[in-house]
Amino acid sequence: MSVLEAHDLSIRFGGVQANLDVSIAVGELEIVGVIGPNGAGKTTLFNMITGFYTPDSGRIVYRDTEITGMAVHERAALGLARTFQNVGLVKGATVRDNLVTAQYLQADYGTLSGMLGSRHSRAGERQLRARADTLADMLGLGDLLDTQVAGLPYGTLKRVEIATVLATDPEVLLLDEPSSGMGPEEAHQLGDTLLTLRDEFELSIVMIEHHVPLVVRVCDYVYCLDFGQMLTHGLPHDVRSHPQVVAAYLGEDPEPEVLALEAQLESLVETD
Amino acid sequence: MVPATVEPAATAGRHRPSAAGWGLRGVVWAALAYLVLVFPLGRPATTVILYTTAVCYGIVALSLNVLLGYVGQISLGHQAFVGVGAFTSAYVVTEQGQSFWVGVLAAAAIGGGQALVLGGVSLRVRGLYFALITLSYGLVAQDNIFQIERLTGGGAGQPAPKPQGFETEWRYYYLCVGFLAVVLYLDWRMMRSKSGRALLALRENPRVAATFGINVRLATLFAFVVSGVFAGLGGALIAHNDTFVSPDPWNFNLALVFVIMTVVGGLRSRPGLVIGGAFFALLPYLIEQIPGFDSLLEAIPAPRDLSPLIAPLVIGPLLLIVNLIRFPGGIGQQLRPITRWLAGHRFDLHDRGLKEVQITDVRA
Amino acid sequence: MGGLFSERRSLLIGIGATVALVVFLIVVGEEKSLVIGLTQGSAYGMVALGLALIYKSSGVFNFAQGEFGTVALYVLYLLDIKGNYWLAIIGALAAAGLMGFATERLVVRPLFEAPRVILLVATAGVALLAIGVELWFADAQAKPVAKAFSRNDRITVFDVQITDQRLWLIVTLAALAVLLGLFFTRTNLGLAIIGASQEPTATELVGISVRRLSSFTWVLAAVLGGLAAVIAIPDLGSFGPGAMTSNYLIPAFTAAVLGGMTSLPGAFVGGVLIGIIQSVATSAPLFQDGGELAIPGVPSTLIVFVVLLVVLVARPQGLLGKRA
Repeated sequence: MSVLEAHDLSIRFGGVQANLDVSIAVGELEIVGVIGPNGAGKTTLFNMITGFYTPDSGRIVYRDTEITGMAVHERAALGLARTFQNVGLVKGATVRDNLVTAQYLQADYGTLSGMLGSRHSRAGERQLRARADTLADMLGLGDLLDTQVAGLPYGTLKRVEIATVLATDPEVLLLDEPSSGMGPEEAHQLGDTLLTLRDEFELSIVMIEHHVPLVVRVCDYVYCLDFGQMLTHGLPHDVRSHPQVVAAYLGEDPEPEVLALEAQLESLVETD
Repeated sequence: MVPATVEPAATAGRHRPSAAGWGLRGVVWAALAYLVLVFPLGRPATTVILYTTAVCYGIVALSLNVLLGYVGQISLGHQAFVGVGAFTSAYVVTEQGQSFWVGVLAAAAIGGGQALVLGGVSLRVRGLYFALITLSYGLVAQDNIFQIERLTGGGAGQPAPKPQGFETEWRYYYLCVGFLAVVLYLDWRMMRSKSGRALLALRENPRVAATFGINVRLATLFAFVVSGVFAGLGGALIAHNDTFVSPDPWNFNLALVFVIMTVVGGLRSRPGLVIGGAFFALLPYLIEQIPGFDSLLEAIPAPRDLSPLIAPLVIGPLLLIVNLIRFPGGIGQQLRPITRWLAGHRFDLHDRGLKEVQITDVRA
Repeated sequence: MGGLFSERRSLLIGIGATVALVVFLIVVGEEKSLVIGLTQGSAYGMVALGLALIYKSSGVFNFAQGEFGTVALYVLYLLDIKGNYWLAIIGALAAAGLMGFATERLVVRPLFEAPRVILLVATAGVALLAIGVELWFADAQAKPVAKAFSRNDRITVFDVQITDQRLWLIVTLAALAVLLGLFFTRTNLGLAIIGASQEPTATELVGISVRRLSSFTWVLAAVLGGLAAVIAIPDLGSFGPGAMTSNYLIPAFTAAVLGGMTSLPGAFVGGVLIGIIQSVATSAPLFQDGGELAIPGVPSTLIVFVVLLVVLVARPQGLLGKRA
């Protein structure tokens, strides 16, 4: 029984077919890896699953509910959470404020009640702060709660981001290159963290990842994309030794045109 | 205080002032309270009217700050929002014979309503283009809406008497201070609740805000309504302070003065915004009071004296430009060590609050 | 990315729409509003050209563009009283250029790293400063401006009498538009200005410093604003403080937006289109006093607002502009 399924997703930007008939399935408490060379369309796939892009065709199903046309914030409310390649945090705010802001949907008081500062809303705020403290401690960020996000080192930012996504109370976590900017040691630690978090928060995780040892160690299943299409999928060891995957990774660099397009699209994605 | 206040890591431990420290703070608080609450009692009525305007401008600055400071949308037509509030209350009181309180409520409601409509229609349009729409809307208010004779009395204007029980200038002043306190409280609570944090998040990064489950469109509309309600309220209070509203003052120049006082006061800094608004309202008066200012102006070879009414238009933009280039945080940021100290924190001369993060505004 | 339309094609569409509107107006016998629209519209177009030029080169929405013109008018008024009209015009344009130069050096350059919204506030501040100084040095009274052709000779085209001033205006502005077109497509300096926004290094290769180019662009835009004012305002007879900001800035912005903000010919054609729409709509009995949809106050303001709103909401990249 899958938690999240994408069926035959396709999307075109101008003349470029960014994804063609891509399907993935994520089971309960599974960690699924998405690999592939730069420009293969991995982030595009994430953007369709989380609602930043609407696919030209195909369906996305989350726990038997079709979510293909839903807005980003509606999917977040269902329990889909994601991180971004270039760190999705409110950089002008402190770590604590990020953790509290991310609990937007958990705040159980109304807007007006909050503006009037009712007893109920103040109690609610205290709860959010307590949970922020707990999450920060879990990820070793306790000392940084009052520090502004902008200016923190990249590896720390990645951890703060994971803490904020957890604050949204997700069921499925989509991580876009969680180990980027980390050394092998840190990446190894990240693997442990992910496994722990999966068990503790009962999460299903989809991660785009370049660091192959990490993928092999933590993933239950792996999909490999190339030029926007599914190259192959299977158990981590099988995919890693698949000749076409080896060729795709060792093969020529992706067309610069495709890379530029992806970067451009990334910067263009708006709220809807 | 800036909503997202944080102590720098170095002073993170909770600071407990000594008894002497609290005593000193108490003296400053008392002096401030004296200035705001007691000092006006001994001033002539004509001056108190100016003080009341200063208080109302504080409300307007807070209103504009909700758009400009919290969601990062610039309104160059805010004089229209405020003016609609002024005319609404005058109309409800004078033409409909209702009480001042109904008038103020109606002004706040209509103010919120028009902001909702304008915001709803132009929600797709952000940043620079939105500024254009608001400027154009401001001109429409000035040239068309305020010319509807049935509602505004046309060129003749509309009387707006002071409310019962607050007929004297002094009493009305305290009433407006009360309203300012309410607006300050609402703004403070909002920024300490999920709604305010949602605004700050979507201002900086709407994509991230959406992944937090925030409905960006709805939250933005909410900010519009809050800003419109505050503006309508400010307008109604201004109308009954002047006891008369005419279409003339609600022009482009006023819209820019509003923006300037908000930016110079300091975005997202409540004390700064109130001071900024009051400063620009009092500027004409202050110029007359400052000794030697006259002779300074005499030295400029202008064919005419700089009249106090025009002074904000000349001095304001100069302050704005110096402000933007040298002190982007405005008065609020400069005063931050003092306001933080007054709130019971350690005095830190270099505390400038959180760094401003570059916002990816409109791309083109 | 491939545009929906190429710039050339969208411009042709714009020109086509304008010509069709002109022919339509002649056929239905509305030549009078056509002439008014054309005069007004070419002035809008000239201001819009300056706006698009500055936006293209430095990404700034220049809210001081209108006041470049008003300042020019005051200088024209002052010099005109004392002497030669033509010298006065040159003086006026020089004043506008100087103001553009000062704005770029003292305001825009120090803020170049700031968000664009801050720059917008800063230029709006420059506009207000200009208005304040105008009110201070002159007063709120409207000032008359002499016409170049004070004899008010008329010629008749399509049964409409056109004053020399108006004819002069249309011809000058249209000729100027063509000259500017040649400047930007045929001369090194012009190509460099266009190129600087896209490819700063390429411009450096041509041997022109980007900084100097930025100054030059602002001066050029300011002179265009001044020119639009000194040619168009005499037709109205008088002006007051902030005249160009309250009457020309928003229609010109709307025109530039219609043209997609970065297209120079698009901005000019957009201006002409706005002028004609405005003139036709204000003369329509429907919107006039006693009409079913009578607009209180100054109808043209509302009409421009509606056009702006429709264009921005329906097609944020402009009617004639290409897709991002």
